[in-house]
Amino acid sequence: MSAPQIPNLNSLRKRGAPGRLRSRGGGVGPDASSASKDRVVQNTDNDASVSRLSAVQLGYIEDRFAQPLTPAGLETRRFPIINRGTYVRTTAIDCLVSQFVESYTEQHAKKQIISLGAGTDTRVFRLFSSTTPRSDLVYHEIDFPANTATKIKAIHSSPALQGALRNASSPGVPNDIEISDTGDALHSPRYHIHPLDLRLLSKSTPDPIPTLQDIDPALPTLLISECCLIYLPPDQADSVVHHFTTTIFPPTTPLGLIIYEPIRPDDPFGRIMVSNLATRGIHLQTLNKYASLETQRRRLQEQGFQGGQAAADIDFIWERWVSEEEKERVAGLEMLDEMEEWKLLAGHYCVAWGWRGEVFDCWGDVQEQE
Amino acid sequence: MSDLDEAIAQLRACRLIPETQVRELCYKARELLIEEGNVVSVDAPVTICGDIHGQFHDLMELFRVGGDVPDTNYLFMGDFVDRGFYSLESFLLLLCLKVRYPDRMTLIRGNHESRQITTVYGFYDECIRKYGSANVWRYCCEVFDYLALGALVLGASSELEPSVSNMESTQAMMPIDDGELETEVLNSKGEVTVSTYRRRQRSSSNTSTDSRNISPPRDISAAPGNSSQAPLRSGAPGTGASGSGSGSYGNTSRTGAVLCVHGGLSPAIESVDKIRLIDRKQEVPHEGPMCDLLWSDPDEIEGWGLSPRGAGFLFGGDIVKGFNHTNDLSLVARAHQLVMEGYKEMFDGGIVTVWSAPNYCYRCGNVAAIMELGEDTSNGGMVARNNGEYGRSNGILMGSSSVESSVVSPGRRYRVFEAAAQDTRGMPAKKPVADYFL
Repeated sequence: MSAPQIPNLNSLRKRGAPGRLRSRGGGVGPDASSASKDRVVQNTDNDASVSRLSAVQLGYIEDRFAQPLTPAGLETRRFPIINRGTYVRTTAIDCLVSQFVESYTEQHAKKQIISLGAGTDTRVFRLFSSTTPRSDLVYHEIDFPANTATKIKAIHSSPALQGALRNASSPGVPNDIEISDTGDALHSPRYHIHPLDLRLLSKSTPDPIPTLQDIDPALPTLLISECCLIYLPPDQADSVVHHFTTTIFPPTTPLGLIIYEPIRPDDPFGRIMVSNLATRGIHLQTLNKYASLETQRRRLQEQGFQGGQAAADIDFIWERWVSEEEKERVAGLEMLDEMEEWKLLAGHYCVAWGWRGEVFDCWGDVQEQE
Repeated sequence: MSDLDEAIAQLRACRLIPETQVRELCYKARELLIEEGNVVSVDAPVTICGDIHGQFHDLMELFRVGGDVPDTNYLFMGDFVDRGFYSLESFLLLLCLKVRYPDRMTLIRGNHESRQITTVYGFYDECIRKYGSANVWRYCCEVFDYLALGALVLGASSELEPSVSNMESTQAMMPIDDGELETEVLNSKGEVTVSTYRRRQRSSSNTSTDSRNISPPRDISAAPGNSSQAPLRSGAPGTGASGSGSGSYGNTSRTGAVLCVHGGLSPAIESVDKIRLIDRKQEVPHEGPMCDLLWSDPDEIEGWGLSPRGAGFLFGGDIVKGFNHTNDLSLVARAHQLVMEGYKEMFDGGIVTVWSAPNYCYRCGNVAAIMELGEDTSNGGMVARNNGEYGRSNGILMGSSSVESSVVSPGRRYRVFEAAAQDTRGMPAKKPVADYFL
C-alpha cells in the first residue's frame, strides 16, 4: 500500500542535516556566545509584548500602555489560543497582585513590588493609573541593561507612560524622575528601574553582590517572576530567590513570590515545546527541576515561604478563577475552535504563589489546584 | 489534462501554480462538486483521513504511508486549510487530485472551509502573502461552498485484508468476527514497527490503542490475541462476537454503512436522508443542521449538550447508538478533534475520531492516523446498498441480539504516523515557529 515514489523525508534528514547546525560557533569566544544567548533571552520580551498588544487590540484585556511599550513594527495579530492564554496569564497575576496591594493592615500601609526580568511589562503603569491610585506602593523592576534602556526610551517618548508615573509621584514635586547618564536606570519616589543581570544576585558569582538602590528591607514585598527565573540555571535561580528571602529581607519582613512559567516537559507536548524553543536558542533551564505543580509548591516551601504555597495551571485558572460571565465575554471576542489544543497549551503553564507574613493571608483563599 | 498533471507535479514539490490556473482549477472543481449530493456515496476500499490544516509535508507523509493517488482511494473529512503554513499547497493539491481522479478522491467540508474562520486562522493571510491579493482566497472559498457535507462508505468488509507488509503473518488466518481492528505504527523510515490486531472489544466504551510504547522496532506480526492490552474476549451473548470464529460466515456482506462527517451529529438531523435535504451551497451558517455537522463533538454525556466551541453541540453515546441504528450504520467516522494517539474510538466503537495532522501546529506532539476500510468481496464484489431500509423490522425494536448482529462493524486498519521532518533537502520548508508564552 505504501508509495515508494514519495520520498521519505525522515530518512533524508537522518543522513543529511547534522553538520549544518553544528558548523556554527567555532571561533566564537565563550563571552560572545553567552552574550548572544543572553540576547535571545532578552528578546523573549518582544514575544510577550507583541502577544499582549494583540490581546489588547482584540479586547481581551484593557491596557493602554501596551502600545507604547511594544516595539514599532512588530505588531501582529496572534491566534485566538495565544490571546486567551495571554488573557489568563495577565488576569491571574493581576488578581494575586491586587489582593496583596489591597490587603490592609495598620502596621503595613506601605508596600513594595519587585518584578524580576520585567522587560516591557505594563503592570506598574496600570497600577499607578488605576482608579484607586496606589499611593503607598513602591515598584521596582530589574532586567538586563539592554532591556531597561529600551523601556526608559519608551517612557521618554510616551506621554501616556509619563502621565501614569506623574500620577504616582507626590503632588507638587516636579521633575522627580531621575534617569542615569547611561540611560538604563530610572529612579523616582515610587518607581525604580534597575539595570542588572539577575545572575549577579546569586552567590555563584565571585564579585560582591550589587545592592539595589531604594529597596526598603522593612516593607511587605511581593516578588514577581513572569517567565524569568526559568531562564537561569537551577542553582542560580534558587540562589537569586534566596538572596531576596534572606539577605535583602530579614525573616520578619512579609514576603510573597508569584511565579509564572512553563511546566510538564515530559509529555509529548512538553517535549516538542522544549525542542521548538531550543531551536530558537531558548533554554528553559529550571523546567525539569520544577516540572509540576507539586515541585513548584515544594520549591516555594524550601525557599522559606512558610505562610503557604500554592499552584494552578492556566487551564485550571481559566476554568475556576474566571467567572462564567467573563468567560462568555472572552469567548465571544474570537471563536476559539481548538479546545483540545487549548487544554494542552494551557496545561503547560502554571502560576505558583508562596508567602510569609500575615499581609499575605488574603492569598489563603485563592483557589489552588490539587 | 497534461496541464493538470503538470500542476499536480508542481504542487507535490510544494510550489504554487499561477493564479490563472488556480481560477481554472477552482472552476472545474466546482463543476464537479455541484454534481455531488450533500452525502457522497463511496465504495470501499477507501482510506479515510482527518484534519490536514495546511501541514503540507505531513500530507506527503500521509500519501507515503497510505499509498499514492490514484492507487489508493481517499476520503478527506475536511479542515484542509488554516493553522499550518502550507494551506494553499495542501488544498490546491487535493483539489487537483479531485479534478484529475474524481472517483478516487472524496473531499468533504470541514468547519475551517469557511470565509469567516479562514480570516482568523491563517488561510486568508497566506493567500494575500503568497498571491498578493485575495483573489485566490475568494476562488477557494467558492469551492468550499460546494463541498459535500458528508459521505457514506458502502461495502466495507468486516474482514481486514492483510496489509502488504503483513502478508505472511498469521493475522490473515484469523477467524472473522464482529469487525476487526488493526493498528500499524510506522516509524520514521516508514517501516511498520508495531502492529496490533484484535477483534472488536464491545465491552470497552473507549478504545484508543496506544501501542506506540511497545518498544519498536520489533517483529511486526504481533500474534493475534497475545498482546496483553488486547485480550480476546469470548463474546457475550448478543454481541455477535460469541463463539470462536464459527459464526462469522454470512455476516461479512452485512457490514453497515459508515457515515463520514467532519464534526458530528445534529439534534436537527435524525436520518442520513435529512442531510440530503440541506441547501449546502453557502457559507457555513452559525447554527442549524449544516453548522452542527461541521462543528459538533461526541462527549461522555447523555443526550445533547452545549459545545464549548460556541458552535455545534456535544452528543453522547446514546445519540450515536440511536442514530446508527436508525440509519443502519455500523460506524460514524469524523475528524475535528485533536487526538494525541491519532485516532480514538468511543461508544463501543460506534464512532471514531480520525486525526491526520501529526504534531499539530508544529507544537502538540501528537501522532496522526488514517483509517483504511477494506472491500467486501464475499458478495462477488457487489455492494449491498442497504442504507435506509435494510434489516429492520417495522419500527418495532427487536431483541438487542438480532438488531446488533444485523449490522456488522467493518474491519478497520489504522495507520499511525509521525510528522515529516521539517528541514529536509529537496523540500523547501520554512522552519515553523510555534507560539509559546515567553
